[in-house]
Amino acid sequence: MRACELMKETFYRRTYIWIVHVVWLALYGGFWWFFLPDMPEMGRFLFIWGGFFLALALSAGIFGDDIASGRICILVTKPFWTGELYIYRVLGLSLQAAVHLVLAGGLILALHAIMGKGNVDGLGVWLLATWLLFNTCAALSTSLSVIVGRAFNSLLLLVIIATGYFTMGLMVTYLRQEASSGVLASFIRYPWPPFELLYKLAAGEWGQYTLTVGKYSVTKSFACVVHSLMLTLVYSIIGILLLSRREYSRVRD
Amino acid sequence: MGPDGETEPKTVECRQLTKVFRRLLAGRAKAIYALREVSLSVHRGQIVGLIGPNGAGKSTLLNLIAGLILPNEGHVTVCGHPARSIAARRGLGYMPEHPVFPGLYTARAILRYHGALLGFSSNGIARQTDRSIEQLQMQEFIDRPASDFSQGMKQRLALAIAMMNEPHLLLLDEPSNGLDPVGIIQLRDLLKQLRDSGAAIVISSHRLGELEKLTSDYIFMHRGRIVSFADRIAANQAGRLHVELVSNGRQIAENIGPRFPVLETSDTTLVIAVRTPEEVPDIVSDLARGGARIMSVLPQRESIEEVFLRLCKEGT
Repeated sequence: MRACELMKETFYRRTYIWIVHVVWLALYGGFWWFFLPDMPEMGRFLFIWGGFFLALALSAGIFGDDIASGRICILVTKPFWTGELYIYRVLGLSLQAAVHLVLAGGLILALHAIMGKGNVDGLGVWLLATWLLFNTCAALSTSLSVIVGRAFNSLLLLVIIATGYFTMGLMVTYLRQEASSGVLASFIRYPWPPFELLYKLAAGEWGQYTLTVGKYSVTKSFACVVHSLMLTLVYSIIGILLLSRREYSRVRD
Repeated sequence: MGPDGETEPKTVECRQLTKVFRRLLAGRAKAIYALREVSLSVHRGQIVGLIGPNGAGKSTLLNLIAGLILPNEGHVTVCGHPARSIAARRGLGYMPEHPVFPGLYTARAILRYHGALLGFSSNGIARQTDRSIEQLQMQEFIDRPASDFSQGMKQRLALAIAMMNEPHLLLLDEPSNGLDPVGIIQLRDLLKQLRDSGAAIVISSHRLGELEKLTSDYIFMHRGRIVSFADRIAANQAGRLHVELVSNGRQIAENIGPRFPVLETSDTTLVIAVRTPEEVPDIVSDLARGGARIMSVLPQRESIEEVFLRLCKEGT
């Protein structure tokens, strides 16, 4: 019951959330309809809008709103582990994204069938990569929401990702011959949301990097999936620790 | 707040609580001491009123007991468990000053949501919802979305949520805000019922007249400290005796003046300061011996509002 209510709340907490879903689906449909893209372009569009921007829109103020309004004070005085609040909210977002991406896939397939043009090769893998990216971004944004007021978590994440990737990209380009470029590339690639790894997974490049544990290694594509899941887990653990250790009331009276 | 040496289990125990709020990057000098070495205990079946001017530390104390913030020094236990632990929260009901609910949810959906958080089954939630509707007269708005609620409706709903798990300890921050007179009377009756069932209730309120009808146990706070445990004020408090005479009031006032301070005098009335209720028969005897022809004697107890003002003045 508790899990169900907390997950359901991620959809009902704000009036605009269903509108976001409808607008995003309309965007996918419009992009297909007007540009008739091949799968890599459509995949990229889905990947960025469904994996990144959707996560920002749905997780905006997911804890920040409650903390700013004081509603969190009622929630955390209930007798259950506070981490559950975080876990079920992120799961709720993930579930919404899963349904959203299934609908998006259905929409693209329907348009493909109606128009009889374009191709949908690898659509499933793009949807999987998009969902994995969504989970990672949603977990990071939710963790930020525990410490950043109102809906600024999403804005902050957008600025960090855009500025960070742009700056790092420039540095790596100009420092290509330097030994430090490898370190910088790793810094971009591994601890941040796995745009590059999941993109390569979806685009069929299967990733260049293999997850190895001692003498064991897993396939490169599987390593990308595991890496994104591990990042989601790490972001979530940080969020749970922040949530369970913070003070909830800002009243100074 | 029970007498010393009492062995009765304490629902709330605070020891040497100090809470300091510091701004990020601000120096030590800008730290705000919201509470300074506050100790108190509340027993089951007791209603305690937290009173004090704005910024006195009432809400901070409530928040510390609820586990919403952490003390810099000292510790709090609720029903014998450290505040903020799951065991402490099991018997806790908390109602904030400004309750907020998701606008798309109806009151019924909000009760279901909180019932689920408390771990109730579907049947349990339905039972609790029916009980809350009955107790707090929520029939009128139970199926309306929270975005349409008035302040009074929000207060009723927040109270229903706080009482859903039949708490051992109920913390209420300004519970009668926005309630109409009928709502206030219902709230009072409900809190009395809860107290009679053994729950401890701590109320922070500026509506002193309302508090007075609920309890005689007060904690007066000023600048983060408990200034005076004015408990059982009604029984022991200082007050005034209003005496109506046939005539010669001024002359009689001069006669008894040295023993009992006369606050107001006219030819037919005297107002005499009384330190304890036991003094009243002595005053009346003295007046009679002094030749006063008494028509009526009316003790005027100092209301909690007057006590509050007096303590505020003393504090400043």
